[in-house]
Amino acid sequence: MPEVAEGFVGAPKDYFELFQLEPKFDVNIDDLGERFRTLQRRFHPDRYSSGSAAEQRLAAQVSADINAGYQALKDPITRAGHMLELQACDLRTLERQPVSGDFLMQQMHFREAVELLDPSDDEGKSKLAAEAKALMTAELLSFQKAIEKRDYELAGFAWVHLLYLQKLNKEVAGSSDLF
Amino acid sequence: MALLQISEPGAVADQPAERKLALGIDLGTTNSLVAYVSGGDVKVLPDEQGNVCLPSVVHFGVNGTLVGSEADALAISAPHDTIASAKRYLGRSRAELASSGYTKLSETGLAFETSQGPVTPVEVSAQLLGALRDRAQSSTSTPIAGVVITVPAYFDDAQRLATRQAAELSGLNVLRLLNEPTAAAVAYGLDSGEEGVVVVYDLGGGTFDVSILRLERGVFEVLATGGDSTLGGDDFDLRLVDIIRDQAALGALDAAEERALLSCARSTKEALTTVSEIEVKLDAVVSGGKTVVVTRQQFNSACADLVNRSLDACRQCVADAGVSHIDQIVLVGGSTRMPIIGEVVSTLFGKEPLNSIDPDRVVAMGAARQADLLVGNRDAQDLLLLDVIPLSLGVETYGGLVERIVPRNTTIPVARAQEFTTAKDGQTGLIVHVVQGERERVEDCRSLATFELSGIPPMVAGAARLEVTFQVDADGLLEVRAKEATTQVTASVIVKPAFGLAEDDIAAMLRAGYEHASEDMHARQLAEAKVDAEQLIAGIQAALTSDGDLLSDSEREALETAVNGLVEASQNNDIDDLRKSIDVTGRASELLAARRMDRSIKLALGGISVATLEGEAES
Repeated sequence: MPEVAEGFVGAPKDYFELFQLEPKFDVNIDDLGERFRTLQRRFHPDRYSSGSAAEQRLAAQVSADINAGYQALKDPITRAGHMLELQACDLRTLERQPVSGDFLMQQMHFREAVELLDPSDDEGKSKLAAEAKALMTAELLSFQKAIEKRDYELAGFAWVHLLYLQKLNKEVAGSSDLF
Repeated sequence: MALLQISEPGAVADQPAERKLALGIDLGTTNSLVAYVSGGDVKVLPDEQGNVCLPSVVHFGVNGTLVGSEADALAISAPHDTIASAKRYLGRSRAELASSGYTKLSETGLAFETSQGPVTPVEVSAQLLGALRDRAQSSTSTPIAGVVITVPAYFDDAQRLATRQAAELSGLNVLRLLNEPTAAAVAYGLDSGEEGVVVVYDLGGGTFDVSILRLERGVFEVLATGGDSTLGGDDFDLRLVDIIRDQAALGALDAAEERALLSCARSTKEALTTVSEIEVKLDAVVSGGKTVVVTRQQFNSACADLVNRSLDACRQCVADAGVSHIDQIVLVGGSTRMPIIGEVVSTLFGKEPLNSIDPDRVVAMGAARQADLLVGNRDAQDLLLLDVIPLSLGVETYGGLVERIVPRNTTIPVARAQEFTTAKDGQTGLIVHVVQGERERVEDCRSLATFELSGIPPMVAGAARLEVTFQVDADGLLEVRAKEATTQVTASVIVKPAFGLAEDDIAAMLRAGYEHASEDMHARQLAEAKVDAEQLIAGIQAALTSDGDLLSDSEREALETAVNGLVEASQNNDIDDLRKSIDVTGRASELLAARRMDRSIKLALGGISVATLEGEAES
């Protein structure tokens, strides 16, 4: 029976380089999507279906890299993780680092408020959702500042906070209200 | 030729001027269809009587094999030799089939017991594919270069593999397995040219799929897919059977009478799409006959739970896709003709569904478009499909829990590497159990394959570094490779179907099939191989001309030697030798291809910001 090993496999690929973007946290999503589609239009295995077996394998590999890169850069939190990986930070180790007492208290208070919320209280719900979102925005900003200053330790903390806030945001939002 | 496309954006290399013929095949639970692109339009091919739907029924009788409506006609008189809905059993285990209440299982394995002996679901499907191929081939003299076969988006790895095996068995070259909802979206998307977010609600005979796609400038990106592989129009038929049985107070029926009752229920269902109440005559079911009245209201309430199951899957899919609005709804599958379906779907999404294309034909039409593209017809080049893996892939870890490696709705192709380690000191072997599904526990997921990594050098627990790579190709099929990182001990494992046919069985069946094959089969294969060789040579030569600088002198020399060998081999008529030479030359060109790929990634994105500004991307 296998056990999941610590650490990640090999050196991470630089997806900023793959998409030929400046390695900055601030990414224009529409531009990224356009780059993604442009690359896939050229390298998707469908484009090589009449090519040799070698080309097909290669295209599958490149296309898989493009997919992985798009996934990593599309979402700000995975993008933040990727930027840390590129600085040789081990995300599994980072994930387990303790967060400050203040941050934990804030999280607990928030969770309590969510639990106490009357499910029919739409106004209270959207108020909490807005607050959770504001916390997220602030944390994204502190990540950006830290990474710009090359303070990877601080950026690592911000990233862990982001993971907490992501969970919180999901809980507050619940299932989609739309349908 | 693909090699040339790498470095010349937008330009397609010299191709044979004539269009190649590629088929789109909708291999359905109840009906199957075949279509191809001709003169820019999609043609869905009818049989001699003018029917486009081939009933997915095969009769394996003492006097021979019949396919389609001829087989269907024998369903009542010879139920045990007549296999319908075989798709439900594709890639399923014996245990799963037994629990489905299916009684025609062979004692020897996963097969139906017929007068011709045991017949597997793969063989039944191969017969259907063969009949569709013959239908296409009788309408055109152009040889069939390849086919795209559609599968329910929710099909797991074993079911996809079984579908591919069926095609191999019928001698078809599979270009791609395409998800049915994606095919439908392609047919509609290309038809209307509209962009935005589309939900495809696909209720087939035996499966229910829902997919959400974004269409943007010729790129069809599947955002999420979901469904229920055990929900289909057949279930609605069975509810109607129950209603009629109750109303008419029918006693025990024999197999033939049951078939008659089912076919009676089907025609009642069809009638209820236009009328709200119908008199059902049971002359064919019981002697002396009986008449009962069934209302649409009765039918709808008996099926409410089935309808709700489909809606739950829709809600989940919307949540997975993370979209905030839907622009279009596409209904696919004959079962969506039931008025209740249109009603609940419009209510859920707040939009009227599109209905300009026949829901029975739309999947085959989309498949034909994709086939035309994959076979390299140049006017089809502006379309690209980005599909996803429908079910998560993972491996078993301690305590029977699943460690997820590739989550569902990940865009394919995908390659993920995961490291594992040993649990005990001196452990030299490791068993990796690959599963597919969304549940936490192994026993609740689909078991795909088990393989053993042996020869790990003895180390203390946790010291070995086993890198397992999961690769899912554009067909949604899985390949697993494993490597011990510190010692480089490797084990490459192609995931074999846990159920269905072994490779050897397929080879044996193919040989049996070839005994009937004529000389021209061989001649055609040789001609095809020669064309492949010519294209490969032309491609390499063009690549050497434009990017020869990427190779050192010795690398270039090695490649040229291989090309010369291929030129020679293609002048002889030894097909095995030619194929081997094509393979060798293809491998020899890998290095150049890889370096050109790297070079062209940089070229591909040159000028992207201009393209974005102008709102017109290079395609």
